[in-house]
Amino acid sequence: MHPPNRFTCEEVFARLDDYLDRELTAEEMLLVKQHLTLCAACAGEYRFEAGVLEGVREKLRRLAIPIDLMERISARIAEERKGKSG
Amino acid sequence: MPPDPAAESPAGLAASDPKVTFEALLEPVLDGAFGTALRFTRNRADAEDLVQDAALLACRGFGTFDRGSNFKAWFFRILTNCFYSKYRKKKRQGTEMELEDTPELYLYFQTESIGLHSRTENPATLLMGRLATEQVEEAIAALPDEYRIVATLYFIEDFSYQEIAQVVGVPVGTIRSRLHRSRRMLQKALWVIAEERGIVSALTEGTGDGE
Repeated sequence: MHPPNRFTCEEVFARLDDYLDRELTAEEMLLVKQHLTLCAACAGEYRFEAGVLEGVREKLRRLAIPIDLMERISARIAEERKGKSG
Repeated sequence: MPPDPAAESPAGLAASDPKVTFEALLEPVLDGAFGTALRFTRNRADAEDLVQDAALLACRGFGTFDRGSNFKAWFFRILTNCFYSKYRKKKRQGTEMELEDTPELYLYFQTESIGLHSRTENPATLLMGRLATEQVEEAIAALPDEYRIVATLYFIEDFSYQEIAQVVGVPVGTIRSRLHRSRRMLQKALWVIAEERGIVSALTEGTGDGE
């Protein structure tokens, strides 16, 4: 069976999540991309899903890390090593 | 996992170099580990304890670490196992959202139903722009444990499917379907929160800043 020259909307929809994650084969990535350049409906859905993922990533980046966390860990490790060799 | 001779930590240290200490490999991944622990445990005090416990376990087991391989994935595996064995709460916390059977394109259709698609070319950006960090955190926190874990590893740490599979200790195929499902559930959680906070009604009325 020959591989398809073009994907249908259904085939693209079934692969949308994997396309977003770049987890398709190179050939399938290209076939999806080609369809998205030709089909406004699918392109709109893709753009929307990508927009949500991007928005989530952006909001989740900023976080207050305890400034002395590494120090406390180093201290605990040192304690344990001392205990072992002592 | 096949060893990568050129494996480097984010700080540019070669994990394969025997002179590089455990602490030197740990330090660059610690911020990410804390952020991950915080989303796993949903509690700052527990997150700090979890990271410290995991660091200690990892240090003790450092002799078993394959120096040619991915330190970050190895450490996060220990962190995740430690979460499951010691910090995972048996009882569900917080609100019990009905997220399990969320269909695909959930937010796409919800935003369409309130007319956002006719107002802007980027309805996702418009909606996400109205959500505060705390609200997105709340949505992540609302996911059941297994889904929250893969979502966190995916969003916060940019792990690949393969790396997430290694960290969680299940096959890649399982991670793939779990992650896809977690994103749908997250979309619904975001919408529920947006409704509760009046963001949806504000958007429906077309009030607030212009996009």
